[in-house]
Amino acid sequence: MTDNEIMDLYKAGQQERAFKKIVDSYSERLYWHVRHFLCSHEDTDDLLQEIFLKVWNGLPSFRTESRLYTWLYRIATNEALNFLQKKKVRAALQFESLSREMEVLIDDDPWLNGDELQRALLKAVQKLPKKQQLVFTMRWLEDMSYEDISEILGTSVGALKASYHFAVEKLKSELGKNF
Amino acid sequence: MKTEKNILENIGKASFTVPEGYFDDLRDRLGSIATPKVTAPGFFFRAKPYLALAACFVAILIAGTTILRNTVANDPTDLTFSEASYAQMAPFAIPEDYYQEIGYDLPTEELSDEDIIEYLIESGTQVELLAYAGNQ
Repeated sequence: MTDNEIMDLYKAGQQERAFKKIVDSYSERLYWHVRHFLCSHEDTDDLLQEIFLKVWNGLPSFRTESRLYTWLYRIATNEALNFLQKKKVRAALQFESLSREMEVLIDDDPWLNGDELQRALLKAVQKLPKKQQLVFTMRWLEDMSYEDISEILGTSVGALKASYHFAVEKLKSELGKNF
Repeated sequence: MKTEKNILENIGKASFTVPEGYFDDLRDRLGSIATPKVTAPGFFFRAKPYLALAACFVAILIAGTTILRNTVANDPTDLTFSEASYAQMAPFAIPEDYYQEIGYDLPTEELSDEDIIEYLIESGTQVELLAYAGNQ
């Protein structure tokens, strides 16, 4: 079922059925999207509940001029960033750094298959500035097009390409230190 | 010289995994979020318990007042008591006015010795007491 058909179903008064169709189509995709930012399976699972609750509550005010896909990814991205921000504050209050906490998560995650170099890449991504981290994750790890990323983040394609380039440079430099 | 793309491709992507059957369970859990929207309760609905409580108080008050009014009004001892209390509260009242108010007819002429003697006899006053009073 396409996004337009789902929204037609919603507008026809079958809200619950339409929502279940959204869950069927997007739960797995949004899971991987959020997981790439949070790394932890448990945190991602918790956050997905909140994301879909916001989707359900926000559907009545969703304007069909924008794409459902974009709208859902935007909610998921914002929620993931908010979650990381809260985690950063909590870490700061305990005199720790978020990137150190994320490194421990990556090392101890039983649901991550990757060799030493791949784990090092993930850790290095956590140290990137937020915008570069977003662009690199969506472009490299999720294979999203620049056009889609541009729509979700509300940034021009040119700016995204520049951010991606800087991100790769920093990652090369970071990985070069260790290997 | 390796290009940026080649470096990343050489590293490859770490793959995250999930427990078996996780996405089926996730879909079920997320699907259950959709519940019919309940409209916010109106003022009357919210005030209903308080109104019921107030109605109970009023009912108890009315019932209590009615019961007390009926029982007190029919009991002559209570009536006497309330009248006596009234007399105590107004010690400066003129006795004649008070007795007339409560329905007693006071003799208009002065009491004669005969009246007094008759009263003492009828009330059973002992002779010894009369003699004692006479000696005072």
